[in-house]
Amino acid sequence: MTNRTNERAPLVLIVGGGITGLKAALTLDDFEIPAVIVEKSGELGGKVRGYAKTFPDFRSGRALVSELVERVDATEKIRVLRHCTVSGVRTEGDLYRVHLSDGTSLGVHAVILAFGFEPFDATRQEEYGYGVYPNVIAAQELEALLDPLGPTKGRLLRPSDGKPVRKAAIIFCVGSRSKRTDSPYCSRICCSYSTKQAIEIKEADPDAQVVCFYMDIRTYDRGVEEMHQYAREIGVKYIRGRVSDCSPLPDGDILVRAENTLLGKPVQGVFDLVSLSVGMMPSPDTAGLAEMLGIELGTDGFFVSADGGLSPHDTAREGIFLAGAVTGLKPIRDCILEGTSAGGRVAAYLRRRRG
Amino acid sequence: MQRISGGAGDELRVLFFVMTENREKTPGSIDYGWRHQGRPVLLPEDRIVVIDDSSHMLEKALQELSMQYYFLDRCHQCGICTEACPHTNLKNADRFSPRVFIQKARLGLIDLAGGELWSCTTCGSCLQACPYEVPLVEIIVSLRNLVVEQGAGYIPPSFKAVLASLAASGNPWREDPDRRADWFNELAPREGSLPGSPEILLFAGCFPSYDSRGRSIARAAGHILQEAGIGFGILGSEEQCCGDSALKIGDLKTFKRLRNSNLQALQARHADRIYTLAPHCSHVMKTRYAYGRDDAAAVKPFLLLLHELVAGGRLPLGEVKSARAVFHDPCYLSKYEGITKEPREILARIPGLETVEMAHNGKRSLCCGGGGGGFWLDALKGERLAEIRLDEAVEAGADMLVTACPYCLAMFEASRAGDGRWASLEILDIGELVLRSLAEKPGM
Repeated sequence: MTNRTNERAPLVLIVGGGITGLKAALTLDDFEIPAVIVEKSGELGGKVRGYAKTFPDFRSGRALVSELVERVDATEKIRVLRHCTVSGVRTEGDLYRVHLSDGTSLGVHAVILAFGFEPFDATRQEEYGYGVYPNVIAAQELEALLDPLGPTKGRLLRPSDGKPVRKAAIIFCVGSRSKRTDSPYCSRICCSYSTKQAIEIKEADPDAQVVCFYMDIRTYDRGVEEMHQYAREIGVKYIRGRVSDCSPLPDGDILVRAENTLLGKPVQGVFDLVSLSVGMMPSPDTAGLAEMLGIELGTDGFFVSADGGLSPHDTAREGIFLAGAVTGLKPIRDCILEGTSAGGRVAAYLRRRRG
Repeated sequence: MQRISGGAGDELRVLFFVMTENREKTPGSIDYGWRHQGRPVLLPEDRIVVIDDSSHMLEKALQELSMQYYFLDRCHQCGICTEACPHTNLKNADRFSPRVFIQKARLGLIDLAGGELWSCTTCGSCLQACPYEVPLVEIIVSLRNLVVEQGAGYIPPSFKAVLASLAASGNPWREDPDRRADWFNELAPREGSLPGSPEILLFAGCFPSYDSRGRSIARAAGHILQEAGIGFGILGSEEQCCGDSALKIGDLKTFKRLRNSNLQALQARHADRIYTLAPHCSHVMKTRYAYGRDDAAAVKPFLLLLHELVAGGRLPLGEVKSARAVFHDPCYLSKYEGITKEPREILARIPGLETVEMAHNGKRSLCCGGGGGGFWLDALKGERLAEIRLDEAVEAGADMLVTACPYCLAMFEASRAGDGRWASLEILDIGELVLRSLAEKPGM
């Protein structure tokens, strides 16, 4: 179905039905501008839908998503196309003709790219044994283990034998701040989410040992540093030293070795479970869409906005906008912010363009 | 993978240091005779750290050594190198730490009269681990160069002797250069082997040429090539030390002298294919001799030729009975060249041989301690990297420790001698093992 028949009404395409896309759509709705959300999976809400608790106040990500989806359902002007992706884009007069994977096409006046990021593939840091040792997991998997609606109903049981985890290690900066893995950047939220996870483990089992191996602790932003201090007060241990390797022990335990750089002495520990706090990678759809739309990526593989940062949602191509983690991983509150401001920006753009 | 490669020109231009003739000793302080802008520079270890001009002195020196200034500051002190470094396995309190070394270097706190500059074996584990590509090994070698060529500190006495011998005789033991080809001349000529232009040139190296244990490695290689019907030649008395040790100890001048002499001899031979018994030799020749720019003239470790012959079925291998072998990956094969599969494929083809692996294998091999001058460092018993590796071999259940580097072999033999802990372990070069297998073939 196309909207050829009603070209006077503007239409915005939002690629990605996560929290950023949802908030952008809701903002546009405040301006009475219709939007179509194209979501590649069967569900709205993106990654936040899978977070039982978010930092810094441990509110439910799932509940946040439900609230947004409810509001979207309550509108008339927002359409959602699930299991749908963008397969081609052409200009057509003053429209973009967007072809979708379900065979239909849309004539839109603006596009907001809001399809998020991809977590770093931890198999690329071989010395940690991810994908080889069952009890070395990545942060997303720890999240699922801590989730009351997850596979273990929120009990922290380790993969190899289901044993309750009494000693957990969390390794920071996996796939971040390393030229070796082509990810020299900092992924911004890992220190924060790791601290949140450490607190969850400790609160569920105060006798558990949780050790975080870090380079720096970047728990910035409102309420987050306070969360970090709380973590220390309930006994989460922080050791400064980047882990050099994990090795398996006979019963599934993992030996973690690092240098305690503040003491200048090597440190090692045996843990039931090791969680790798993975950083960000660009979404796999980024390169394809960048080419399709003829817009630039930064050296880190994420989209760059135009105008030297003064127009954070604009790209070099008129009518194509950016919001959320497509320009780099950021906290939920920043995604909500960007969804809101992108909606406003697009509304202003459409008003100026169409009089 | 960080490689040790020449900086922009091998020349040193150190503008910031002025060596004074008179070294005045003021009571209560150590004066190395260093002056920076006319003022004495003190580098005692327990000095309170004051960030002043002298703190940046070493960084500026490195800058003058054509290294990029920020290499030291690039380090985030994350510590991943220290755990990767084999020295972390030693128990002595003053054991080497790459991270601490960098921290001290950038604050001007390296005690140039002390030993910490000399512990590094250049194994390259830190280079593999560093997330910021800090060229640790190159920094250490450059600082050693400062000390050796500028006389700006302490050189272990054993190193002085070696450098002097290399300069004088082209080998580290003041051996007669004319005796370098003795092992080759003692090889019984095979029927049908022709003089004239041989297929390959074998660069034997110092240890296999002169040392009685080492000669067995050279002879094994020789017999294997004869068995495979490959004509080979050596430089003989024209062969000098490849210069790798001189380079890594910091004596650039001696290295260049050896290099130029070898290059002349090699070019006069028009050698198309050169194989070295020691991975150190092939690595330095490939990276610092300007060889290897085109494949035909590439220098390669002999291990690769051995692999070619074994995998190609050109050697009739017989059964080596009741032996459980473990392969120790030399750092200059595994870490610098990525060669880890080939030696294992060779062992797999030896009938009857059981193989096991040590905890640290392949690119994560634990250094024997021989590189970077370690061969001559005379570490104390209980402070030797080779001992840790020997323990690992025994733990893996092996009765045969096989390697493909004469340095490694020598380090293991030296540590093993007279110590019952590893009496059950036989130490072999992979060529010696293949030769043994050849000898077991009926009709050989």
